[in-house]
Amino acid sequence: MSRARFVRRSLTVAALLLGTAAIAAPAAADEAFVTDQNGNSVSVLDLATKKAVATIQVGGKPAGIAMAPDGKRAYVTSPEGPYVSVIDTAARKVLSKITAGRDPLGIAIDPSGRFVYVADFDTKHLEKVDTNAGRVVGEVSVGTSPCGVAVSPDGKTIVVADRDDDQISIIDAASFTRVGVVKVGQHPFGITIGPKGQRAYTADVVSNTVTVVDLAGRKVVGTVKTGLRPYVVAVNDRYGFVTDEYVGTVTVFDTKTLKPVTKINVGDYPEGIEFSSDGKTVYVANWFSNDVWAIDATTFKVTGKMPTADGPRAFGTFIRKTP
Amino acid sequence: MKRVTAALMVAGLCLPSAAFAHGASRLKLTESVEINAPAARVWKLIGNFHDMSWLPGVVKTTGSGGNDPGKAKRELTLQGGATIDESLDRYDADNMTYSYFMDKVDVKVLPVSDYSSTLVVMPDGDKTRVTWRAAFFRADQNFNPPPGLDDDAATKAVDAIYKPGLAALKTKAETPGATN
Repeated sequence: MSRARFVRRSLTVAALLLGTAAIAAPAAADEAFVTDQNGNSVSVLDLATKKAVATIQVGGKPAGIAMAPDGKRAYVTSPEGPYVSVIDTAARKVLSKITAGRDPLGIAIDPSGRFVYVADFDTKHLEKVDTNAGRVVGEVSVGTSPCGVAVSPDGKTIVVADRDDDQISIIDAASFTRVGVVKVGQHPFGITIGPKGQRAYTADVVSNTVTVVDLAGRKVVGTVKTGLRPYVVAVNDRYGFVTDEYVGTVTVFDTKTLKPVTKINVGDYPEGIEFSSDGKTVYVANWFSNDVWAIDATTFKVTGKMPTADGPRAFGTFIRKTP
Repeated sequence: MKRVTAALMVAGLCLPSAAFAHGASRLKLTESVEINAPAARVWKLIGNFHDMSWLPGVVKTTGSGGNDPGKAKRELTLQGGATIDESLDRYDADNMTYSYFMDKVDVKVLPVSDYSSTLVVMPDGDKTRVTWRAAFFRADQNFNPPPGLDDDAATKAVDAIYKPGLAALKTKAETPGATN
């Protein structure tokens, strides 16, 4: 062992021994709240120690998740519930279950944390849930088989991937009305809005593409070729990371040129993907191999693997910045 | 009774595109077998996408595209004449694994949908571990599917292929001189 590594390890051991007692926690670590669809639970992973620390039973084959911006609550869809579970993230427990549509799948939360938007896969609706009231307060018609949902950083715009109509719906959050529709690739599943809020990126599972949409202009600005069966996209200022479900890779592309940069081998049937709160790491949930992998967002190297319960999907925002 | 089941199956087949409804969630199944033969020998038996003769019940494999992912397609003809169309998604000879997707199957033959599968041949000393895993939905993805088109039927049907399939592979690989 090198001296540096020895010192580092000693410090780590010291930190572990000191535990939580009265000592200020080191720089905020993240946790992952991973929906385990086959296991009917949510696995909580400590991303600093790379260990599973809790399993929360939610039932109903959980799939989608939206993490509150302050990290205190997580909202989990159970399509076979059908309901949305409200989770107290610190206490690791379900506080309540909200009925929102008949087949809730994709879910996203607005930046204030007040409203949660739920795609009802069966009824072509997006449901608006008031998290204070704990119930649905609005509904808007979207396309067929709505899957992924995303909210712009300013909270003013909501986008929905209407899978079986090969389009996205653009919704004005204030009036909760649909203001536009843009055709994308075949069967968009995941949808993500870039950090500047100007573009939406859809993972088109049948055409094996990511479609890039200019939200203000309501038009397609480009298409990226991905691996087989792309599921979800994570985007930062420089790169997009796409999970390629059937080939077990993450396709990385340049957000300016929209050209592929590299492919990273990950676990089997990768689905949910999201950045750490500091943006340095990308986390990928692998549905078949029952694990979450950490990837360095700059070097593209795999830096960790963590086991989950059965069938992790983590479809949505699943990273929690701990206080 | 048999007629009722058949009628239900036909009803299932006739459902419109709503058959993709998300009432169903994806199922997974993994079977594996230990074979007392070197991995290279086992891979020689199953490593060609266009030769499924090791699987009981398959009488013919035809197709094109070699072992080229994205190009290779095969049609399996089963005893009794039913066919299954599949395409190769991933092929890695170095790691002795390939993955494929079932493009077309009659639910009367196999009550599944969106079925994809991976075969992995892993050396274990001078023995070999073969793992076969499937990801699939039940044939009828709507709420409350009829018996025969539900999760249970789908899982049982896949398992009824995988278990005897791997057992037959083991027998073939362990029989001297049986390599093609």
